[in-house]
Amino acid sequence: MSTPSRTPLILDTSVLTAVARGDADIIALVQEYDARGQPIVIPALAIAGASLDIRGEEGDDLLAGLELLEVVTVAPLNGAEQAARLAHLVARTGLDPWDAHVAAIADVAICPILTLNAAKWEHASADLDDPLRIIEIADPGDQKPGK
Amino acid sequence: MSDRKARLTITVDSHLSAYAEHLVESGHATSVSAAFNEAMAEKAYRDRRRRSLWKAKSEQADPDRVARMMAHIDQQLAQ
Repeated sequence: MSTPSRTPLILDTSVLTAVARGDADIIALVQEYDARGQPIVIPALAIAGASLDIRGEEGDDLLAGLELLEVVTVAPLNGAEQAARLAHLVARTGLDPWDAHVAAIADVAICPILTLNAAKWEHASADLDDPLRIIEIADPGDQKPGK
Repeated sequence: MSDRKARLTITVDSHLSAYAEHLVESGHATSVSAAFNEAMAEKAYRDRRRRSLWKAKSEQADPDRVARMMAHIDQQLAQ
């Protein structure tokens, strides 16, 4: 097993939606990062976006369970300046506010974004002065030959 | 709930303090301490339930698939 990166990883809305949906493999993956001591940042608005996607008590409990992991820090949207920066990112990239909060934190903290949908981030990243570092969660075993 | 109590000094938001006092005045709590004790007991219960839910979900995971996904992430991070 490789040495964990000490640079925090940021979870985007797609990953949080998978958690809220009860995706056992994604939940186990996040737990493994907790066991490794890998810092994880979760933007508060991304949690809101995932909760909106799922709409259910169990989903919200699973999202709230993330906060109980030692390695997880929930990043709030704090103050007028951050709110304006978020609005700027939404206008510039076309991202929804949930993932724009992810981009805002990744842009400032220079941290990689973990996502289940890297394609979603391609345009957004190209619209920023400094490209975002996107890391896709995928099982290479799922890839079919010729694709 | 334990009968043994520990004494501590806490600082809380004024509106929450006012609500705790309202619970006492309206007969829904025996004291402000009891109101905060009950709130913390409720949080402990919720946290336990959420940990159990995470454990139950992760036990359904495919460990080999999770290992492959983590290795794939590590490869990307190493680039």
